This record gives sequence, C-alpha cells and structure tokens, in this order.
Amino acid sequence: MQNFEYATARSVDGAIQSSTSESRFLAGGIDLLGEMKEYITSPKRIIDIKLIPDLDRIDTSTSIWKLGANVTIAEIAKNERILATLPSLAEAASEVGSPQIRNVATLGGNLAQHSRCWYYRHRDLRCLKRGGSTCYARDGENKYHSLFSGNPCISPVVSNLAVILAALNARVNVRRGDKEIGLTIGELYSDAWNNPLAHNSLLPGDLIAHVEIPTQKNRSTYLQVSEKDAFDWALVSCAVAGRNSGDQWADVSIFLGAVAPIPFRVESPLLERGDLSREAIESIAESVVSKATPMAHNGYKVPIAQVLIRRALARIVS
Amino acid sequence: MGKDHLRYDGPAKVSGGAKYASDAQPGGWLYGMILRSPWPAARIRAIDLRPALSLPGIRAAVTANDPPFTVRYCGEELAAVAALSKQSGLDALRAIKVDADLLPFVVKEEAALRDTSPRVFENLPNAGEPREMQTGDVNSAFGTSYKTVEGFFQTQVQLHQCLETHGNTIQVTPEGITCWASTQGISSVRDSLVDSTGVPVDKVHVMSEFMGGGFGSKYGAGIEGGLAARLSKEAHLPVRLMLTRFDEALAVGNRPSSFQKVRLSANKDGTLVGYELEAFGTAGYASGGTTAGGGGGAGFPAPYIYRIPSTRVRQTTVAINAGSARAMRAPGHPQASFGMESILDEMALALGMDPVELRIKNDPSEIRRQQYKIAAERFGWNARYRFAASSEGPVKIGVGCAGATWGGGGHGSEAEVRINPDGSVEVRCGTQDLGTGTKTLIAIVAAEVFGLEPAAISVSIGDTTFPPSGGSGGSTTAASVAPAVFDACQSALADLTSASGISDPTGLNWRAATARLRINPVVARGRWKEGLSSRGVGGVQMAEVEVDAETGFVRVKRIVCVQDCGLVVNRLASISQINGGIIMGIGFALYEERILDDQTGIVLNPNFETYKLPGAADVPEIDVILQDMPERGVIGIGEPVTIPTAAAIANAVSNAIGKRVTRLPITPPRVLGLLGKLPGIQSTYKSGTG
Amino acid sequence: MDEQISRRNFFRNVGSAAIAGALAKVTAAAQSVDSLDGQKPVGPEPVKLILQVNGSKHQVEVEPRVTLLDVLRNRLQLTGAKEVCDRATCGACTVLVNGQPVYSCMKLAVEMQAQEITTIEGLGGPTNLTPIQRAFIECDALMCGFCTPGFVMSLSALFTAKQKPTLEEIKKACSGNLCRCGTYPHIFKAAQRVAEAGPS
Repeated sequence: MQNFEYATARSVDGAIQSSTSESRFLAGGIDLLGEMKEYITSPKRIIDIKLIPDLDRIDTSTSIWKLGANVTIAEIAKNERILATLPSLAEAASEVGSPQIRNVATLGGNLAQHSRCWYYRHRDLRCLKRGGSTCYARDGENKYHSLFSGNPCISPVVSNLAVILAALNARVNVRRGDKEIGLTIGELYSDAWNNPLAHNSLLPGDLIAHVEIPTQKNRSTYLQVSEKDAFDWALVSCAVAGRNSGDQWADVSIFLGAVAPIPFRVESPLLERGDLSREAIESIAESVVSKATPMAHNGYKVPIAQVLIRRALARIVS
Repeated sequence: MGKDHLRYDGPAKVSGGAKYASDAQPGGWLYGMILRSPWPAARIRAIDLRPALSLPGIRAAVTANDPPFTVRYCGEELAAVAALSKQSGLDALRAIKVDADLLPFVVKEEAALRDTSPRVFENLPNAGEPREMQTGDVNSAFGTSYKTVEGFFQTQVQLHQCLETHGNTIQVTPEGITCWASTQGISSVRDSLVDSTGVPVDKVHVMSEFMGGGFGSKYGAGIEGGLAARLSKEAHLPVRLMLTRFDEALAVGNRPSSFQKVRLSANKDGTLVGYELEAFGTAGYASGGTTAGGGGGAGFPAPYIYRIPSTRVRQTTVAINAGSARAMRAPGHPQASFGMESILDEMALALGMDPVELRIKNDPSEIRRQQYKIAAERFGWNARYRFAASSEGPVKIGVGCAGATWGGGGHGSEAEVRINPDGSVEVRCGTQDLGTGTKTLIAIVAAEVFGLEPAAISVSIGDTTFPPSGGSGGSTTAASVAPAVFDACQSALADLTSASGISDPTGLNWRAATARLRINPVVARGRWKEGLSSRGVGGVQMAEVEVDAETGFVRVKRIVCVQDCGLVVNRLASISQINGGIIMGIGFALYEERILDDQTGIVLNPNFETYKLPGAADVPEIDVILQDMPERGVIGIGEPVTIPTAAAIANAVSNAIGKRVTRLPITPPRVLGLLGKLPGIQSTYKSGTG
Repeated sequence: MDEQISRRNFFRNVGSAAIAGALAKVTAAAQSVDSLDGQKPVGPEPVKLILQVNGSKHQVEVEPRVTLLDVLRNRLQLTGAKEVCDRATCGACTVLVNGQPVYSCMKLAVEMQAQEITTIEGLGGPTNLTPIQRAFIECDALMCGFCTPGFVMSLSALFTAKQKPTLEEIKKACSGNLCRCGTYPHIFKAAQRVAEAGPS
C-alpha cells in the first residue's frame, strides 16, 4: 500500500470534515484495504468511522426499521428480530464472505463496495472503469459479468444486501456535506448504470449513515447460486418481496444481483397485478430473456436467473 | 506398523510453535521481494535500480538478468530488492524503472498451434515434435470391432497453491550460506545455491524442518532463492524472500492442460481392441523442456491402465507465453484418467454394459480388479447405477468410477541412529516432511525395531548436515526413508546387543541394556536396501453426485476409495493423505482453473477469490478402504489417491444428466451448456472460460 | 429484549480519557494515537501504538499502512498466524479480536488499539493444549500444519460461543479457512469429538 494519514472520526460531522478529495472512509476494511494492496486506490488519508457512536445501532422499535451503517454483516445474520421478521435479509447477510469477513464487514461498506471485476482489480491494468480506454471484459473473459448494462462497462453489482434491500423498498440515508439525502437502492446505484467510472451514485466524501427498511412486505426471500457452496460470490442472486393477505398479493418486486451494474428489477404487468399463479410465475421468469444481452461467456446467467425467479416466487407463495 | 499413530509434530503445529522458512528471523533480517514482468512478452532494454536504492530502508537491489534480455510470460523475474520493512520494499519495487519493448504473444493453446501465431521463442515453432507410439494394428482393430466411440476432452491448467508460498530465508556470509527453505528437497536447494553462488557445497547449510506444502513444485532454490542469496550478499544481512500469492499463480509451476481427441473400439463382449489418441497441451513457455521436479511436457500415459492390443498415440506439447509447468501431484495421470475413463463410460453406454464390469474385463491389474469389486460392494454400485438421467425432479443423481496406477517405490536414502546411555533414541535423516508424516513414520519404524513407543524416539529431519535422503517426490519418501531407518536401527541394535551383553535389549530390557553403555552412545548409520520397498500401486474411486439440472450446480455426495500402498506404516496419516488427494481431485473436477486473458496475457485469477479451492462446505462423505499388504514392502501413497477422483466425478455427472462431460472443471455454466440451456450462443469448442 | 443493539462490545476499552479533546501535538517525530481526536490524523510517519496481545501490552512503532499480521509475525515474533494470501481469502492469519475471528491481514495495526487480540500462542502451549488442540492431534486434523493455527482459532471461537455445535455449525465456522492438504474430514472429526465431550 502507499502510505497515508490515519484519522479516527468521533462523529459523522467529524468524518465529513476530515474528508478530502483524496481520502477514503474505513469501516470493515475488506474492500478498501484490498484495493489499496493492489494500488487500485491510494488515498492520502484514511478516516476510520468505526468509533462513531450510534452508527452501529439496530432500531426495530417502529414499522420502519433503522440499521446503522456500521452494523456488521454478522449481526444482521444473527439478529433475532431480523431472523424472525425479515429472514431473507439475514439469509443474504449469511452468504456474504466468511465468518471472519462478516465479523468486521459493515452494512454501509457492503453497499458501497467497489467492482470485483478481475480486470478492474488487476494491478497491471487500467481498465475503462479506472479511467482507461478499454473494457477488457467485453471481448474477454466475461463469465462473471453483466447481462444488462447501460454503458460500456459490464462490471456487475455484487452486494447481496443491495439486492434484498431493493426488494424490501429500503432507503439509504446518506450524509453529503451537511445535507442528508435519502436514496432508494435504485438511486444508490443508478450512476453505475450510465457511467462506466461509477460503482454507485455516491460522491467522494459521501457517508452512508443508516438504512431504513419498511417492514410492510410480509413475505420475502433471497436465493443465490455460486460455484462453491460457501465463501463465494454469487453467479446470480435473486430477491423477491411482497405483501399478501391470503391469495391477494401486492407490491411484489423482484431484483436480480450480479447481472447488471445495479440491482436489476424484473418488471412485469403480472407482478403489478399481483398475479403469482403458476402460469404467471413461468411467464415472469421467461420475460428475463428478452432484455438480456449475453456476452460470450455469461449466457448461462439467463437460465439461472429464470430458475431463481421461479424458485423465489414459489417460495414466497408457499 | 499399520496402526494409527499420532503425528510426531502435532503439538508444535497446533500451538503455533512450528517454525517454517517464512517464520525464520535471523538477526537483522530484511524483507526480500521480486519485481515481475507485467508483460507476457517483452524485450527488456534497461532496468534502472537507482530510484529504488535511493528510497529509505532499501539495503540492496539486483536485476534478475542483465539487459537486454527477453521475458516470455507475465510474472517472469526482472529485479529484486531487500528492505527493512515490507512496505518500503513494495515502494522500492514500484520505483524501479524498466524500459521494455513489448512483443507479440500468445496465451491460448489452440491459437499457439496455428502457423500464424506469435512465437514464444523466435527460432522455434510453438509446438514441439510430437511423440508418437503405436502398438498392434489400429486400422484393422477399428475396422473389425463391434463398436467405436469417440470424444474430445479437455482439462485445465491447475496450480499447486501450496499454502506456504515458495521462498527461503537466506544468510550469506564469508563463512558460507545458511538457508531456511520451504522445500521438498533440501539437497536440491543446496545444489542450486552452490551452482548459482559458487560457494562450496560443504559451506552451504540448508534446513527445512517444517514446510507448508509442495505437491511437486518445490525443488531447488528457485530463481527466488538465487535472488535472495545475491541480496543477502550485497546487504551483508539475512534476507527472507517469500513469494506472494499473486506470484504463485504466475511463476512457480502448474499442471499442464490437455486437449484429447480419442477413439476407442471394442468387441461385442466388451473386450477393448483399439485406441487412438491425438493430444496436445501446454507446459507453459518451456514447451516440452525439462521442468523443475521432472514434470516434463504436457504428455501423459495413454491409454491409461487398460489393456488394449492396438493403439496409436500422438502427443504434442505447445508453448504459450505463460509460466512453466512443474510436476504436480501425479504428473500426467489425472489428465490421462479423465480422458480414458470418460471414453470408457461412453463405450459402456454404447454396449449397454455396466461400467464396472467393462473395467474389470479390461484391467490387467489383479489388485485393481479386486479393488473394483470391493469398492462396488462398499459403494452399493449395483443398486445405485442407473442408466443416464433417470432421476426425476431438477436434482439428478449419478454415479461414476475410475481407476489409478502409480509407481512409488524407494530410492537411496541414509539415516543415522543414536542410542544414548539414558535410553533415549535420536534418529537423523536429511529428508523432508511436507505434511506427509515423515517424522512420525521414522519414529514408528525405530520404535518397532527397538520395542519402544514412538513417542520415545526423537526425530530430526530437514537438514543438509544430516545423512542425505533425496527429494520428497513421486510418493517415494516412505519407501526410501523407512528402509534406511530400519537398516540403521538394525545396525544400532546389533551394536547395542554386543556392547551390553544382553541378547535381546528391546522392549522391557531397553533401560537395562542402554545403562550398560556407560558414557558412550551407540551411533549407527543405515542405508536404503532392496527388498523392503517396491513399486506399483493401483487404486479405485467411485463417486456419487447430485446435479441441479436447472442451475448446473454439482455437489459431490460421496466418494468411496479403495487404495493399496504396500505396507501401511501409519494408518492415520495414510487416511489423511487419501482424504487430501481426493479433495485436491475434487478441486480439479469442479473449481480450479488458471485463467489467462488473451488480450493482455495476464493471469486473471492470481488469488483464492477466483482460483477456487475446495472449502469445508465442499467436502463430501469420504469412505476409505486402505489395503495393508505388508508382504509388498513400503510403496508410497501421496499421488495415486488424487488421480481418479475427477474422472469418477465427471462420469457421475455424465450419468446424472445424460450428457457426456468433456471438460474440466465442471462448473455450473458448463453443465448448463451440456444441457442445452444456454441462450442462442452455440456451445462449440471455444477458447475462454465458457 | 434490547431493541437498540450497539456494537459496544467490539470496542470495549475505549476510555473517554484517551480521546479527551486535548490537541495532539503535531511533531516531526512519531505521534501517539492516544492523544488524537477526530480532527487530527496521525502518520504517514510511524505511530507509537499499544497493542494488547494474549493478555500482555506491547508497544510498537509502525506506519499506518502496516497490517496487524505483519506486526504480530515480524515485530512480536508471534509467527503462528501465517501470511498465505494477504487478501482475506484463506484464514491462515485468523486471530481473535475481542473473541471474534478476524483476518489479521486486513486489519491495520493502527486501528487495533484498545482491542483484545488473541493469537494461537495465547491458547495452549505444547504442554497445556486446549481440548480442540488435543483433538486435532488425536484425529490427525493437520498435515503440513500451515493452516492449522487459523482453523484452531476459528474453532476455539465456536466452542466459546457454543459447547455442542452441530456438524453444520462446525463446517460454517470453518468456512473462512482453506486447507490445501485436505484435512477437512479430520478437522470435522476433531471438532465433533470436542462437541461430544462437552465442557472440559
């Protein structure tokens, strides 16, 4: 790593005031230190935000839960309230990395993490996302890359939590300077759809403060397929959430992870109508094919996405 | 012998007390590290070390070669520095200025075979001279047989991925060289240091008491050892130069790939009559040349283990701009097994014959024929084998089998035993323990001869000042060391008998006998002799898998393994070896693949994130029947056990989905491709990971 | 049930005295992290740190970019934790921080003050092994031994949290540790043996 100054923030204001155009915030450190060890990023100042009070709280006292950005993935995976009411969120968290990673990785860091594309992450290349001129993945080894993208970079979003939080209609509270901004998950990632240089919509100096999760959707699930059975990135992930009373479904949303720079919303008039019959599920799953633009080596993500949609919808319906 | 013995160095390893080469910290030691070529092919015009040397904390810097010179793969060594801290060393590497002209390169085997391909060596074609072999009359055999099947099979480049990286801690002084090495062959390290430094052999002392895995890749001091020695000499301080995980994927060896076009024909009763193979693969830039550890090129035994009277085999090794291959656990055999066992199952289907029956019919090895029968019974083969794709629902169950052969055997080794008047026993042998349990084996042998408990034997290994033993490779250590130790102990026992006047000093008489030595210990040397070890083992494995036909995910449920290794010295350690070999075979079957990018020539997965090793969750039930055949002497077990695993798994997956697996690793994308579930894109043979 | 759960236990000993608003003196020499507040960074020169390892305090002076793993192995000579990948992918560097398994290669030494760090050397030595260490030997749960300290740390934390974990829980606790020699089956056996034996 290049050398740097190290500062400990004791408040969100303090963190933001310490930040410069060449600083990064340090939470769990898994993503940031990984990038720094490959010299992908070399901030002159690291601001440790782990000691900011109250950023690690889980507040389930109202129907809109508030999870602080410093809540660890391990806590989300084992928190009794979350397991009882939003088990899909705990499930998504339990698939993140390994126990050692979950013990230090945070909600904010997981959402803000940078691309895992192996061209992006290689110390000897400077790909499009890093300001170079070429997306090597397009004509290269793209088995892990996006099926959908609005720009020449095809690095997909890999945050498990982003996908389930999108389905749950969560909002992310971001401090930008002295302003507080509320973003949907879609808005949190929208810049990455259009801008090859962007991993998400955060600007340098932005700090995720907490995430608000409405709990109205009483049925949700999270599924993923990986190459290994544990401690592996998802090839494709899928989160589904909706509200039902008996056979009546409302507000059902489906998001796919690892297929686009953003958590990819699967839309269908059947979903809007709340039709989750067997035939409707088939039809919704099929509809994924038409918009996808598979690369040479990631076409397999289409059938996997279809299967996960089918299985996730079947699971919430049963 | 033949029982479960606890590992001699267990307490040191579980408590963090075991010191490896990467733990050595001789006074004033410096961090050594290497600058490697980021280019797959380049002419290096100049290397300027001055910016590095001017940085604080840098005590020495050397170039790997004098410019101008040509580099032929990403990762080839350019220069090295020795620094007071790891971070200042990394700063120094980045400060070195390299002036290079980039050259055309090629990193895919099929591309390298074309006439128009860039050449790895300007004056040589990328493809080496093919090796051809013929037996019998292949044309006639194919012409008159009842059934012929054919297929095209591919295996990937696999990396050793020892957890302890390659490297040494080296101290060069006017008195000589001291080296703590992570190695399978302390003598080979010593010899290569003698070669590269000119220091006389009796002044080079190499030690490797503990080492963190080798799997065939750790012989000689390596270029890294030579660089460390030069740095130490320049800095007048010891240098610890261990490679990084990134380096390990580039420059210290791999298992060659294979592309196998095969035809097989048989008579109606299942007798195999004809076999034809055309194969190529890459051994990296050093195409076909001798590689460290004797791995050779990309060739492999063909046909593998089965008796076929007429054969025609043509194999070529093709060079690409990538790191050179090195011997990797049973070199050639896992590739051979996958190709042979897959085409054999094709034949079984074509003939409507049970795969195990087909194998027994054509296997010349009595031991292996018996092993198939034993395995089948333990596995429940007859009940479990169904014709292809017969499970209902999305999860398909399948079974497969495969066999192995290996040499093993012993070679010259010496050992020294010392019996002290207080009854203590010390054995010294210049051998290595890769985790293979060598130390424990030595203790067991000595204990057996003296009628003592293994815990009473003090064992020292891994030092070139001890009696020489040779490298730990080819599954030969047990068969080399055990007879040598046995011989030394017999000599020592004879000396103790005459010195003590007690006709049987072993067991209960031990203390009384040794007390009579008064002040002079008994010291005896021994050497390996014929008769206590032999060569040639078999091995059979059966696999049961579950394949999710909708997602392509493969889960191995169970492996049954029947393995012989001659005389079993330590049962517990032997089972560990078998488990380990099978798990490495699972990695070969399902997850591992070194991936090169043909736009830039870089290795895309020089890490554990995307070069995937089997983890705890990926381990199936492993059921081992270890056959103890004392009459055959000690043979060796490290390698045969990893040979048939991937073949058995591939056959099981094929059985589950009703389509022939033709390429390893068997990833979800590939399974979906076989099932015809990929949208639009024709799944033809195509370079790339898809 | 506590509706507002704080991760206070991760930073148990952050005393207010240490962060009192005193201005840190910025000098050319190394600074002590103790005196800083949110506004005054330390480094890039070496920083004086106090690390609590295996119950003892150690003073070291390192640049902010030096990892905990580097300090443990090469400053404190606690070489049980191994450098295998340096990228939080293999577990060989696993130590306990306030009882939780963590990859020490992805922790900066400078962020580790006021944490209780336990390494393999802080468990049992060769003559007073813990139950899981003994079980590892008895079940031959090790071969080359390079991954062993990491596994022992992960499993030690498991047994502190749960006396009788199931096989599933054992596998999950091990899921962040790699073994290339393939000792997993015997590691599971060893852990199951400890689970069956119950509290020692």
